[in-house]
Amino acid sequence: MKKNKGLLGSYLLLIPGVGFILLFIGSSIFITVAQSFGLFSITGHSSLTLENWKTILSMQESIDSLLFSLKMGVLSSIGTIVVAFPIALYFRKGGVGKGMLGSIIKIPLFIPALVAAFLIVNLLSFHGLINSLLLALRIIKEPLRMLNDRFGWGIVLIQIWKNLPFVLLIVMASIASIRDDTIDAAKNLGAGYWSILLRIYIPLAMPGILVSMILMFIKAFGDFPIFSVAGPVYPTSLSVRMHLMATLHQEWDKAAVIGVIIFVTTFIVIWLYSRLGELVEGDES
Amino acid sequence: MTEVKQLKSDPTPLHLIIEKRKKRFYILLTLFFGLVQLLWVGVPIVMAVMWSLVDPANPWSFPDMFPPSISPHQWQYVFKYTNIARALKTSYAIAPIAVVLSFILSLPTAYVMGRKNIPGKKIFMLVVLLPIIMPGMVVALFLSRVFTSFGLSQSFFGLVLAHTLMGIPYMIRVLTTSFQAIPQDVIDAAENLGATTFVKIKDIFLPMIRPGLLAGMIFAFTASIEEFNLTFIIGTPTFETIPTILFSFMGYNFIRTNASVVALIMMTPNIIMLFIVERFLKSDYLAASLGKM
Repeated sequence: MKKNKGLLGSYLLLIPGVGFILLFIGSSIFITVAQSFGLFSITGHSSLTLENWKTILSMQESIDSLLFSLKMGVLSSIGTIVVAFPIALYFRKGGVGKGMLGSIIKIPLFIPALVAAFLIVNLLSFHGLINSLLLALRIIKEPLRMLNDRFGWGIVLIQIWKNLPFVLLIVMASIASIRDDTIDAAKNLGAGYWSILLRIYIPLAMPGILVSMILMFIKAFGDFPIFSVAGPVYPTSLSVRMHLMATLHQEWDKAAVIGVIIFVTTFIVIWLYSRLGELVEGDES
Repeated sequence: MTEVKQLKSDPTPLHLIIEKRKKRFYILLTLFFGLVQLLWVGVPIVMAVMWSLVDPANPWSFPDMFPPSISPHQWQYVFKYTNIARALKTSYAIAPIAVVLSFILSLPTAYVMGRKNIPGKKIFMLVVLLPIIMPGMVVALFLSRVFTSFGLSQSFFGLVLAHTLMGIPYMIRVLTTSFQAIPQDVIDAAENLGATTFVKIKDIFLPMIRPGLLAGMIFAFTASIEEFNLTFIIGTPTFETIPTILFSFMGYNFIRTNASVVALIMMTPNIIMLFIVERFLKSDYLAASLGKM
């Protein structure tokens, strides 16, 4: 009986934090889902309907937006981890001036996403620094189009620049937990650099790598500000499309459908992550 | 061949030579990394500084690598003709309130998460991350419907609540890790000596979570300063914060010089804060709090 009472107290203490989050995020999810099926509509009358889903799913633009957002998510998360992992390995070894370098590389973490987008836009723009340099060095004859380009390289670069420290911190922590003994033992048994990297560092750092890749994917997938600054005119990312639909065309119900698509994708990715996480941890034991 | 000869004439043993080479290699590597990092972070910032100092009488255009002449004109212009001063005030008025509010709301939750074994803890930990994980624009757009129906949109209190929502996840996660780190012995000893709940909170919990609290406050503060989606949907046009002002310079009418000024205004305090709090802000706080979902 006493134990139950303590448990109840614990749950009560959770209310201010978890309850606050659930109240707001939960109501937001609820409204999104309800509106996508035509309920709680703010324009016209409300009735349960699949009409909005049919319209959105039959539009080629929606499919293009979805594919584009997925592409940005995947490329940003792979790109960031590819850049961050070698740096994390370097920081593990340590050396002269490591502390200072560590602070410098953390700067983008404290630079808001919009500012980061702006900073990189200055470099990438048609007559920006990179194009000027390449022209001056006669590597290219015409300035490259890296901003608002159809493929979205500009967005990927901004995402990598802004989120590198974040991913770096997570990956560094998981690399730091690898014991030197393990590495020494492998070296003793004749393992080369590559096999140490592939068979020790990467597998043991896998939990950190997975989390950071998932978080990066979700960030880049649902991103609004970076896309609207550096993205192509067409296709737009899902968030931008949803925002336009809701505010410009006042088609909130259809925007809600896109919202649900974004939510569902996010949840699928998190679910996949938890399955993968179980697999990774299962391998260890 | 030459290698072998050298080894014969040189009395230094082979492993020392390798050691020395390795050392030299690491120094080179450090220099290389340092240079790349300086360029990686420094060049974009320097570019923004240069753009913010462009003299409108002598525009900076394509073949020039540097602005032909500099003037403070852009800075004066931005402060005179835009709402930046008010936006700064709004931003820095909301952030501290949001930080305090998220601390108060997080404390009991973090205590339970860190010190109690309750069923469903894993799920609660995931729920706590939702505001960061969930795509900001979707949440903002449809939360605004909820806010409107409660009369909270376009209000200062609504913005504070929204910013609190974005700060709470960091706060709970970091504080939870701090609570976990308190050794049970200390609490047991205090209880043995007859400490009441109040004394335990005052003399054990609060002092021991202080470093984590600072890290959490910094994260919540920066989260509030850079919060864009919710502010953009719920606050504009009544309330403008620095991010929404910057967005207005970067959207339909892209004015690079004005945007540079606003960008610099927005990031300078953050960077200064980063260097001041660097020693408190051990990287493991963020990693420990977000490294697991």
